[in-house]
Amino acid sequence: MKLSEIVEKLRLGVRTGTGKLDREVNRGYASDLMSDVIAHSMKNDIWVTLQVHLNIVAVASMKELSCIVLINGKEPEKETREKAEAEGIPILVSDLPAFELIGRLYQLGISGKRHGSEESA
Amino acid sequence: MRRLTEIHKVQELVFRLKTSDAKASEVVILSPNTMMSEVRSILRKNKIAAAPIVAEQKVLGIISVNDYLNWLTAGREDCCVEKCMSVNVKFLYDDEPLTDAIKCFDRYGFYEFPIINRKTGNFAGIITRRDIIMGLLRALEIDYHEMEISSYSGHTFFQDMAADHTELMLSFSVAGKNIQHGGDVASKLKKNLHHLGLHPDIIRKTAIATYEAEMNLIIYGGGGTVEVFMDADVIHIEVKDKGPGIPDIQKVLQPGYSTAPDWVRELGFGAGMGFTNIQNCSNTLDIISKVGKGTTVKIRIGLDPGKSIK
Amino acid sequence: MASLQRSIPLKEIQKILSADVILDEGWLRGEIKTVYCSDLMSDILSFGDSSSLLITGLINPQTIRTAEMVDIAAICFVHGKIPHQDTIEMAKKNEIVLLSTKYSMYEACGRLYCARMSKSIDLP
Repeated sequence: MKLSEIVEKLRLGVRTGTGKLDREVNRGYASDLMSDVIAHSMKNDIWVTLQVHLNIVAVASMKELSCIVLINGKEPEKETREKAEAEGIPILVSDLPAFELIGRLYQLGISGKRHGSEESA
Repeated sequence: MRRLTEIHKVQELVFRLKTSDAKASEVVILSPNTMMSEVRSILRKNKIAAAPIVAEQKVLGIISVNDYLNWLTAGREDCCVEKCMSVNVKFLYDDEPLTDAIKCFDRYGFYEFPIINRKTGNFAGIITRRDIIMGLLRALEIDYHEMEISSYSGHTFFQDMAADHTELMLSFSVAGKNIQHGGDVASKLKKNLHHLGLHPDIIRKTAIATYEAEMNLIIYGGGGTVEVFMDADVIHIEVKDKGPGIPDIQKVLQPGYSTAPDWVRELGFGAGMGFTNIQNCSNTLDIISKVGKGTTVKIRIGLDPGKSIK
Repeated sequence: MASLQRSIPLKEIQKILSADVILDEGWLRGEIKTVYCSDLMSDILSFGDSSSLLITGLINPQTIRTAEMVDIAAICFVHGKIPHQDTIEMAKKNEIVLLSTKYSMYEACGRLYCARMSKSIDLP
């Protein structure tokens, strides 16, 4: 599914990376701990978090994640927005709490399966 | 007095429950074509003593271990359960009180009763004695928190003291950078307030405010003291350190503002919401700080939400 | 966090998440009305209620303290994480159920979300 479709279906706000919403995504990851994201996220994941500081861009860039989705109405800090724009990383925002947003993404077919570390269905 | 209220609450719960609240979550039913020879293994595998026979959502009969044994000892040839089942099935409606179900078990001595939806006449589940117990336990679990609030007597330790004025002071010291024990003071305070008979909502607010202030003390303040002064009207919490001090107090009060290093974030802190949480839980919050000297955080929480505090 | 459309028994949640029970088999009687997922203490502190489950990747003692402050009934750690014995003891004293699922927070929440959307086991 294209990021732009997800933005539309879940009514997400787009704060950076408006031109980068064409990518296909099919997996998601959620965590507010940089160490967990670095250890377990996979390339092209949609990353759901409520962290807004600069580090999130560095981590998203390092792991080549497709975008960052901030929940609970969080807004990225000014430096975070600027860095994300420079790195071409879309930051999307939602008023929904994490569980609700993840659930809706999951129902759209964005699974959370990690290779090898979990049972397959 | 509180004990008696709790007992009445439990009785009230029992009378309020319906059979549909307690019915089994997993049901084994048989189709009319199930063969008698299969009955033994089905009952045994599911550890049940009887199963209803249901077709097109209607209960046709019920087959029990006794029916199976009768068929076996009579030496009859294999047939479908429809031929051997009991047809005069005693059942319960889904909206009947649980107390009726208990009376039925007493009167009839059966293992289980099918439950029928009163409006449609359709099969809606079964209920066994065990289900009644489990249903009561579940209802008690859910209601426990509500019971805590409604069993709150309204009399605090202070109101029970025969004096013109009663005050209590608790003091705690907190070591700096000792993250392992972060929250110990808040935890002790919470338990103490519970012993003093305060309203659960006040206890919760005090615990949250103290916890956030305590973590700030450990992470940024280099440790210090937490002092709690209480009387019948207000809890006053003072958190003091001799740490680096806060250069710009207005800035730290902004939600999301944080100077937290990465290791703090990796422990789940440093999102800059600490003071916001304290403000949401207290009547007043005052921060006095001098760079190089230290910081004092004063939090006041009124014990009566309806009253403003001096 | 989100309120579940129906309360889900803790035992059922354990099955949905294929979770190991760290503490305690005998405590799995209750029902959960709300699910929170977060790795941020201040976020958890601003919500929290006594019929709730917290899904988190944080296994330090403060997770238990935070849960204690807001009366969270159960915590499920993700990625198969298991806290230190001292942390488990702290949870034991406060009678907080501890579970551990091999799923990620995303996968765990996704599964629970789908479970809450379906009706309770329908009878024919």
